[in-house]
Order: sequence, then structure tokens, then C-alpha cells
Amino acid sequence: MRNQELSPIRQNLYCATGLGLIFLAAPFPQVQLVLHAILVLALAPRPGSPLSGALWGLAAGWSLEGSLRVYPHLGGTPWADLTLVLFAGWLASRWPLEGLKGWMARLAALIVLQVLLVHGAVSLAAGPHPWGWGGLWVLLSLPLWAWPTWRLLHVHPGSGRR
Amino acid sequence: MAVRAARWRWSRVAWQRLILTLLWLGHGVWVFLGPAPGRHWARVADTLSRPSQSLASRWDAWRTSRRESRRSLAETRAENARLTAELDRVKTQAAQEAPRLEEADVAVRLLGLKKQIPLSLTAARVIFSTRPATFGGLILDRGADLALVPDQGVIVPEGIVGRLWSVGPSQAKVLPADAPNASVAVMLMRSRATGVLQGLGSGRALIRYLSNQEVVQVGEAVLTSGLDRVFPRGLLVGYVAEVAQGDLELHVIVHLSAPLDRVSAVLLLPFQPPLEAQVPFVAPEQKPQRKRGAP
Repeated sequence: MRNQELSPIRQNLYCATGLGLIFLAAPFPQVQLVLHAILVLALAPRPGSPLSGALWGLAAGWSLEGSLRVYPHLGGTPWADLTLVLFAGWLASRWPLEGLKGWMARLAALIVLQVLLVHGAVSLAAGPHPWGWGGLWVLLSLPLWAWPTWRLLHVHPGSGRR
Repeated sequence: MAVRAARWRWSRVAWQRLILTLLWLGHGVWVFLGPAPGRHWARVADTLSRPSQSLASRWDAWRTSRRESRRSLAETRAENARLTAELDRVKTQAAQEAPRLEEADVAVRLLGLKKQIPLSLTAARVIFSTRPATFGGLILDRGADLALVPDQGVIVPEGIVGRLWSVGPSQAKVLPADAPNASVAVMLMRSRATGVLQGLGSGRALIRYLSNQEVVQVGEAVLTSGLDRVFPRGLLVGYVAEVAQGDLELHVIVHLSAPLDRVSAVLLLPFQPPLEAQVPFVAPEQKPQRKRGAP
């Protein structure tokens, strides 16, 4: 049985909430990184409708870089987020998820890919920079937010999941 | 059946894909350009132009080196030419000055000799030499105009030359001591044995009338004895070159010390000088070679 899709309105609301939290977590960069990863990797990707997810990914990247105010040339993180959102959406449409374990494994792989891609893009855009521990915190916090996001995105009335 | 051309339109998905592509490419270009957009092109251009820059640098270095070498060569040639001209000029000047320097040197030596001998000496210049001919001699530039008379002794710093043979109005002829018809009263420096020096030619002479009992060493100095009243006692004549024992007397060959073939200026002793004149220039004694009669 194929899962029923989440309504775009609800997903956009979730993304808007995530984006607001990113702005609110600006004084706490590590928390902000986790929220950024949640928005880009979990909330924004949508199979079959890549444009809205791409815009949310771009918004997440620009918000993060704009609030950090660290890099001399912005744009690396939004480009990486855009790429990841498109890639995650393609994954979701190509291989639909069947359970929480697959969801967590996919998120873990996407987190690793996000760390590498973000650092590469930022290096290309803004020059050499030190690698922080943000990727590690995001990966360690994955069990905390994987289940709620799974519940939000994939378990809703009519989905057949509990 | 009529075929009607359908109006071409983009679907919604195509528009979404176009927007997504533009967004992705725009952000990618923006990221790739970075803070200094020209740095990538500058790096690429620098990499591509590195071989030509290296070649141009080598070419410029080679041209600079070649220009410096040419300049150095030209300067060296100019310096060489200048030094060659300077050397030629110095050589010419030295050649011009050589006779005067030689004459001045001779004059200085004659002046020194004249100051050391307490006699009234007269200087004269040799203007011609007939020594290669038989009974040849030296022609002086002074004669009766300087009150010269025959039999005046002629000396140079190295030793005696001979005596005046004939005197003309403005010239005089010198009979060298090595002439066959010349004779000089001499004595040996060590034994003080006296004899008569007779010329043999070519700067050699023979001492006659030396007893077989005399001890003569080769290299021994021969001085004038003053008995001929031409030369005072003690003037250097020459050195013993050979000693041979004859039947009645020794045959002693003497090499005259005065360079008779190269004399250019001489001093003339007064006529019949005193027997004893304090002559200071006794030649340094050479190391004698024992021949005979030595203990």
C-alpha cells in the first residue's frame, strides 16, 4: 500500500515554523544547525513537487548564513541546501520510505552528505575555513528529532501508519 | 484530413524544472565566483601563461646577458686598443730615452770616478771605433783643442782602456790596451810582481817578464804598476785567465776588465801622472783558483 501524501499546506506550515525557529535560535549556533538540518533534510523535501522544497531549502541556507555573519561571501550553504533538498526529494520519489529505521538511516546519510557539501561549497565561496563540530551534533541529535519528524510528516490521519 | 499546427506551450513541470535549474546554476555560479570573482580566471590564465612567461623570462635573460657580453666585449676591445696605443707610446718613448739614459748613466759613473781620483781628469766622448781593423783604436771627440798630447792614459770606471796614440786638432786616437803594439806596466795584486802587459786582441793581453818563481792564481786582479808613467799605480787592468809555465817566465793571460768594444765615454789622465795616486777603486778580489806553487 502506497503512503498517502502530506498536504502541501501542512508541510509549508511546518517549514515556516522551522524557518522561524532558525531565526529564533540565532544566539545558539549549535541548536540552529540542528534546526537547519531538520528543515533542509526532513521538512522541505517533497516528492513530485521540488520547487517549494527548493525555495524552503534556499531560505534555510540564507537564513543560517545571514544570521551567522561569519563568511566574507555568502551563498555556499544555500546552494548546498538546494542541492540536498532536490536530492532528498528525488530519493523520496524514487525509493519511498516504509519505516522509521529507513527514515533514520536516510537522514544519517543525508547529514553526512550535507556536512561534506556545505563545507565544500563554503570553501569554494568564502575560502578556507575551519570545520566545526556542528555536523557531529546534528548527527548525535538525530534520534531526538527523527521520530517526531517521522510522526509529523508520515503518520497522519489517513496514512495508515501509527 | 486537415492538419492544424498545435500551439507550443510549456507545461507546469517544465517551468518548475527551468526555475529550479536557473536557481541551482545561479547559486552555483555565485558560489564559484566567490569574494573575488576574477581570481579563478586569473589563476587559470596564470597557469596557462606560465610556460610562455617562463620562455619570455628566459628569452629576456638571454638578451640581457648577450647585451652585457657585447658591451663588455666592446669595452674590453676599447681598453685593449687604448692600452696597446699606450704601450706603443711608452715603448717609443723608452727607445728615444734609452741612449740619453745610457749616456747619463755613463756620465754619472765617470763623474763619480772623477771625484774619487785626486787627479785632473778630462772627459771625452768616443765618436768612432776602428777596433775591428788591424791596429784599430778608438776615436775621441777631443784633441789638441783640449791640450791633449799623446801617451795620456785613458780609463773608464771598469778599468784602463789604453793610451792616446795620436792627437789631431779636434780628435784623438786611442791605442787600446789589447792592441798588439800596446804595452802597459802592470803588477799582480797578491804578489806585487811586476811585468809588462802586451795586447793579444779581443780584450786579452799577455803579461811578460814574470819569473817562474812567482805564484800566480787564476782570477787574480792585475793592476797598473805606474812604472810606465802613463797610469798611476793601482788602476784595475783585468783578471788573470790562464797561467802557463814557460822556459824562462810565466805566460799569464789576462782578460781586460774594461769593455773596449762598448766604451762610449772615457776619462783622460794627465800627461805623466804621479806614480802614486790614491786610487780607491780596487776591484773586489775573485775567489782564486790554485794553479801552481801553492802550499
